[in-house]
Amino acid sequence: MNPVLPSYQFLPAPLWLIDTLHILTLTLHLAAMGLLFGGVMVFFFGRAADRWDSAVVPLIRKSFPTLMAATITLGIAPLLFVQLVFPQPIYSASIVSGWFWLLIIAALIVAYYCLYAAGFSKSAAPCGKYLAVALLGMVYVSLVYSSVFSLAERPDTTKALYAANQAGLAFHADHAHWLLRWMHMISGILAIGGFFIRLAGQKDPKASEAGRRFFLGGMILAIVFGCAYLLVPAGVFQAVRGGPALWTLTLAVLLALAAMHLSRNRSPLWAGLFLFLSMLGMVATRHFVRLALLEKHFRPDSVPVSPQWVVFGLFLVCFVLALGTLYYMTALFFRATKATSK
Amino acid sequence: MNYPFWDTQLPYGPLMGLIAVVHVFVSHFAIGGGLYLVIAETAARRAEDQARLAFLRTLSKFFLLTTVVFGALTGVAIWFIIGLLNPTATEALIHNFVWGWAIEWTFFLVEIAAAIVYFYGWERLSARDHLRIGWIYFAAAWLSLAVINGILTFMLTPGNWLASGDFWDGFLNPTYWASLVLRTGVCVLLAGTYALLVASRLPADRFKTSVVRYNALWALGGLLVTLPSFFWYFRIIPAANLQAATFMVYPLWSVHGSLLFAAALAFLVLVFGCLLPRRMHLSVALLIMLSALGWFASFEWFRESVRKPFAITGYLYANGLEVSRMDAYRKDGLLAHTTFRTGDDGADLFRHTCRSCHTLRGYRPLLAALDGTDPAFIAGTIRGIHKLKGNMPPFPGTAAEAGALADFLHRRTDRRPLAEIYRLEGTALGRKVYEVRCGRCHEFGGFNDKAESILGLTEKDYDDLLKNSGEIAEEMPAFSGSPAEKEALIQYLLSQKPGGAK
Repeated sequence: MNPVLPSYQFLPAPLWLIDTLHILTLTLHLAAMGLLFGGVMVFFFGRAADRWDSAVVPLIRKSFPTLMAATITLGIAPLLFVQLVFPQPIYSASIVSGWFWLLIIAALIVAYYCLYAAGFSKSAAPCGKYLAVALLGMVYVSLVYSSVFSLAERPDTTKALYAANQAGLAFHADHAHWLLRWMHMISGILAIGGFFIRLAGQKDPKASEAGRRFFLGGMILAIVFGCAYLLVPAGVFQAVRGGPALWTLTLAVLLALAAMHLSRNRSPLWAGLFLFLSMLGMVATRHFVRLALLEKHFRPDSVPVSPQWVVFGLFLVCFVLALGTLYYMTALFFRATKATSK
Repeated sequence: MNYPFWDTQLPYGPLMGLIAVVHVFVSHFAIGGGLYLVIAETAARRAEDQARLAFLRTLSKFFLLTTVVFGALTGVAIWFIIGLLNPTATEALIHNFVWGWAIEWTFFLVEIAAAIVYFYGWERLSARDHLRIGWIYFAAAWLSLAVINGILTFMLTPGNWLASGDFWDGFLNPTYWASLVLRTGVCVLLAGTYALLVASRLPADRFKTSVVRYNALWALGGLLVTLPSFFWYFRIIPAANLQAATFMVYPLWSVHGSLLFAAALAFLVLVFGCLLPRRMHLSVALLIMLSALGWFASFEWFRESVRKPFAITGYLYANGLEVSRMDAYRKDGLLAHTTFRTGDDGADLFRHTCRSCHTLRGYRPLLAALDGTDPAFIAGTIRGIHKLKGNMPPFPGTAAEAGALADFLHRRTDRRPLAEIYRLEGTALGRKVYEVRCGRCHEFGGFNDKAESILGLTEKDYDDLLKNSGEIAEEMPAFSGSPAEKEALIQYLLSQKPGGAK
């Protein structure tokens, strides 16, 4: 006779609360990643070291390691929340692609050290090589993430892949699904990178112009690939058409168009705000699409809720304190930097 | 069993151990190093010691590159690898402790940001503000440890949580405080050893003497905290865990290893840190680092070993099967509860019941123990697997599934007779037959010793005993060896004397 033991199949807070935290933290993670990944892409493909002849270039280059730290740190919370709500689809998909999934860590370590090497480098010459390796690492991570998280939305494909290969060497078989998703994401990232370079390089017309071009180009490509992703893979359009995803997607597209318009009118901060809100809309859309695609296999609202309010309250207190401390430290640092530069 | 199994050729225990040990070796330095930096900086600023401040600056660069990059990402690696190797345990931990992890994340945010501001702030911030950032860093890093420690210790000693399911019962479990003190000591110890490594590159002069001695005191101070707290921790571990561990090789090795490494560490730090500081060369510093790594790794290995056969003691087995569902598995069959099937039932059963801890021919090999046997014996052994030496979970399936798993294993064994495989005859063969067919559960002079009841019998008694062996206990397989093996076994048993000769 088995002992009666506590169940772990419960949610320690209402689903809407966990979903909200997931969407918010994922948007923050994507924003940081966009600044980094997109920034490196623009920096690399814009051949910054050759063309931009001002103090802007080393400044941007030195910011990359810190952006990497922000990307990784902000990536932890959404992964935690999404694993809480969708454990089975996500762990299963990552196990099926186990080797690729695990190698993400190695790729990130290499990329991170290359960014530091580029940041610490006194001359511009070796930076291109370091940034190229870092970029390759980030491309690898993004490909695997797109594959695994697309696969997690297709439990039947996950099962079929596992039946054929148990060694963790399977990639998502429905290439239209994950590749289009990846291209859409990469274009969006490029746009954010362009936006970052434009903002950071305001004092350098060449940098600013390169940033503007990449921003607009990235946005157009993101819309093109986004439409393709909506229409080509089976089930995605249906998932968007019938539910809240249609509204969040419409809002996200309108906000993106507004960001493009504001960017042309030289209102970078407003453009940035609209860009962020547009990303929030896209992340929410992504969430609703996943819910719709998984509906036949798993409904998170069927999991019992057993709130841990005291611990949640403690988390909120710590979170607010952390934000305050972050603000204090950055304010202290930038005030001192300003004083030093004077 | 809701998950697929990541079936590679890797030995999962050492893989998990390697990633975890590498991470904790850096992450504990990340905490102790923060304290070291801020205390040493305060002293250096008071003394206006520019050379010491320059050394601390170099150390802080090493600190940043080691902890923020490697330390942080190997932490993520642990998360990734446990999700691959034991997704059920990961799911159980995340559901119970998600807000604990979320709290830890807020400290982690502050820790990472403070490390960056501290490093880049050497030239820009005032001394007072720089030190403030250093203290913020240390506080956030230590609080991060205080949270993770609750989840880590829960896995070994879930305490009242098994009855209440309450977050705090699980978090502030019986080994929480001892482990926190022990790990805090390790943080201080590693701060000293890492600082010794950086100091070993300094030219051999008076400054090096002073820095090395200072760092050695940190290492010794940390060691002084860790040793008594290790014994405190050891005493709190439930007797059942320790009792089971006494018959296992790894926990004993790891306890002895940890003490040996601690002694080597103390010796090296005392001699080269305190007495001959100018001879603290890179090679010596690396030896000290290796000793510290050995001591900490042995402790972590011990902690993991005594938890067997569980991933979460009393709750979830190491193979990811829930204690509370074992009756259902035995009644319906494990395969009926397995979501991801491959069409080869024997292989699926092997993966979900054995493969987490064993390989076929590599690490902790199963086949080596089964060569020269037969499917009936293997199936019988599987059904009584929880009685074997080695502290294993019960088989979670039906008799038919035990048969399917036995067939899967038998097809891969060396099917020649034992006499041929090991080139033995007479009592030597009998000894091998005993070892293979009886000795996994009944060691003479060791685990579950039955010497008193089975030695000193007549040949006929042994013959009867082997004929009826399948009826002695439910978990005991019948003797199904060949007549020649039976004869050799009887001769071996007749040659043994009660009360000693083995």
